[in-house]
Amino acid sequence: MKIKRIVITSAICAGIAAIAYFAFVFPFYEPETSNFEVSIDRLMSFDYLTALIPLLIIIGMTTAGIVLVVLLRRILAKTDKKDSRFAHVRTGRQKGAAPKQKPVWFMIMRWIIMIAFTFIAIWGGLIFGMGISSLSVPVLSCPWNTEEMTSSSCYYLSHLNELFELPWHSIVIFFASTIGFILLLGRAICGFLCPVGLMQDIMDKIRRKTKTEGIKMNDKMYKAVTPIKWCLVLILIGLCFAGGNFCNFCPAVAVSPVLAGISTSLYVSGFLMVLVLMAGFFKRRSFCMVCPIGAILGFFHKISLFRIKKDTQSCTECGACYEACPMGIKMIYTEREKVDVTSANCIMCGECIRCCPEDKALSMTCAGIKLYSSSRKKIMSGYEPDKNGGLPNDNDK
Amino acid sequence: MTMINKAESLKQRQDRRFINKETQTAAKYLRRMKELPGAPEGMEPFYRTLERIYVNMDHIEKAPGQKTVGTYCVMTPPELIYAAGAVPVKLCSGNYTAFSVGDSVAPRDACPLVKAVAGFKQTGLMPIYEDCSMMVIPITCDCKKKIAGMLSEQCDVMTMHIPASREDDDIDEYVRQLYQLMERLENVTGNRITYETLAEGFRKVGYAQYELSEFIRLKKQMPYLIRGSHAMAILNSSSYMPADVWGKALHNVNVSLKKSISEKKAVTSKKLPRILLTGSPIVFPNVKIPLLIEEMGGIVAGDETCMGERGLWDPAVITDDSFDGMIRALANRSLRPCPCPTFADNSQRIYRIKQLIKENQIQGVIYHVLRGCLVYDFEYRRIENELGQMGIPVIRLESDYNEEDIEQLRIRIEAFIELIKLRQVPEKATAVRKSF
Repeated sequence: MKIKRIVITSAICAGIAAIAYFAFVFPFYEPETSNFEVSIDRLMSFDYLTALIPLLIIIGMTTAGIVLVVLLRRILAKTDKKDSRFAHVRTGRQKGAAPKQKPVWFMIMRWIIMIAFTFIAIWGGLIFGMGISSLSVPVLSCPWNTEEMTSSSCYYLSHLNELFELPWHSIVIFFASTIGFILLLGRAICGFLCPVGLMQDIMDKIRRKTKTEGIKMNDKMYKAVTPIKWCLVLILIGLCFAGGNFCNFCPAVAVSPVLAGISTSLYVSGFLMVLVLMAGFFKRRSFCMVCPIGAILGFFHKISLFRIKKDTQSCTECGACYEACPMGIKMIYTEREKVDVTSANCIMCGECIRCCPEDKALSMTCAGIKLYSSSRKKIMSGYEPDKNGGLPNDNDK
Repeated sequence: MTMINKAESLKQRQDRRFINKETQTAAKYLRRMKELPGAPEGMEPFYRTLERIYVNMDHIEKAPGQKTVGTYCVMTPPELIYAAGAVPVKLCSGNYTAFSVGDSVAPRDACPLVKAVAGFKQTGLMPIYEDCSMMVIPITCDCKKKIAGMLSEQCDVMTMHIPASREDDDIDEYVRQLYQLMERLENVTGNRITYETLAEGFRKVGYAQYELSEFIRLKKQMPYLIRGSHAMAILNSSSYMPADVWGKALHNVNVSLKKSISEKKAVTSKKLPRILLTGSPIVFPNVKIPLLIEEMGGIVAGDETCMGERGLWDPAVITDDSFDGMIRALANRSLRPCPCPTFADNSQRIYRIKQLIKENQIQGVIYHVLRGCLVYDFEYRRIENELGQMGIPVIRLESDYNEEDIEQLRIRIEAFIELIKLRQVPEKATAVRKSF
């Protein structure tokens, strides 16, 4: 059993490495004229629409893929002898709404920051100028887009050979800004800034709105995914020395430059983006589980300023945090001694705190300042009685 | 011919005696609860429910034609039963009269709770048992397993396997069982469970839990706004009332408790020893222990029993809006937070007790063990050690479903409360000595 798992994992890793290495061979949908010029005028012109074609292909393929999977699952569920009883409720379109807790400011802020940063990463340079463009933020947004307000560390992390050919002050700025951001924010970068994270969160929102059943991962599956993450880290750092180009393989390259108006090819990355979006639809933030940049950020989780704290006394081990956690961090509910439960995998999305039913059992702090803590009242806010103290009527909502 | 008549009249006589004794005991304990001073306003609906079920031996209040489904444990999600259009009734029993009947049906070492259930089954006189279209019995111990077999002779019974641990695989397996339960519920009630009805079930139970959260927050207030025995009556009657009706009645109690805060009204001006009650379930009319504690001058400031605060405390947190996600939330809520000793590793119960001690400033713990309730008895040692390290006195009270041990219990509880009083305020101790 163990040998089988090792063989399968190494086969998958070898496959990914092979795709990464040969990615530059397959351009797919090559535009007739490559245009790397970005300007506000271009965003207004008809050319912008033609530049968007790769993105539209990605969106179309993702939608088709998701619809196919959902339909296939419906057929399978209906023909399955054991599970067919509830096939119609599990896979059909459903009326009614599940009780929902009222929006919390933390989540609203997180969404606003995420959208704002994505905007900055794509169009920021055009509007606010390129004054701070030498600063590198370790997110998965594309540095091919030359008009980013801040540059993304992923380019030089994946092209270390080029990094050391730069003038020394550029190297210093690169390392200082990258490490500075990591120390300051840690993996909160993943939860608050990353554009690929935002795309996956949007996919998850769509799934929730349509009440589609997702994929429920258990700890065995989370464990099985970990080797792929390390394999991707190796590819990210090592591919430039082996003669490949990580950018042809990176899923972000097919989205952010296209939105900025650059005509590029789809590459293999476009198809990977389809996979990332589809996986993100069925399992929240599924790419974050294997993201190599995230894994590198995770190395510094012990010293970053953002922390998840737990009041081990109040915890009832109800496991709601674990159920909610997109990264499958089990320790957060089993831990009964340590106060600090920040894990290398934690992306600071705050979902565990939002779902925790015990007052102040979980909280997020930044440099010791409490940003957000769990509350019974908030989690029960969807059940709040009406004015007369009776059962809330869902027709009002 | 005469023989048959005689036999019938014997059965009738037995039944009459059973009903007389049952209603008398229930009425007596209800009266003692009502006589305890310091009850908040708005207790009537709960007293009325207990009276209706045990004194008048009446059916539960529900819409005509609605089916009832009996459940035996907090691990059966009531949300599903509401979703199927039925009403759940918790059938775990504390009845002395039924116990004495069940004593001859079940083996000597079976726990009294199961004996009482067997007694009700034997007599066939209790409407809440007879009304059930189906019973759901999570197998939390051997006694529950055997009683499930006995009950299935006359009623549709669904047993639910409770795993020994709460790992991911166990939750997955429980989800599968919940789907089976839904199938059975649909067959019994003739209604389909849809997303909409399930969401409605969540709303009903969630509303009751909202009010319960508020109630427990108010219950923790110092000085006390409510006695433990009265809280026990409220929580016990949740078994026999639809969640929304119970929630509405509890809302009124909460309003009156909030009023007493603003009026600075408390149960008593005296400093009563604060006691935590934990261990085997305490079901009406077997409320002799909380009643004795409070009649002897203590106060049950917190309880960690499954017919008490624990039963409805943990909400099902929906982390995924799909139908399956909601079922998953139920499976997760049923197993993970449950500090039931049926699980092999139950250290979370100790943390729970420690938390209750801290929040309610508990001075002593009474560990209630029903005779024959092995799983609870097993955990006493560990909890005694842990509490010993904290310097909290603890006693183990073993009791049965009869009134023979009441004097013995009274003496032990009285001594325990005196012990706490001596530790509590040294000035008071010297004051007592002066008066001698």
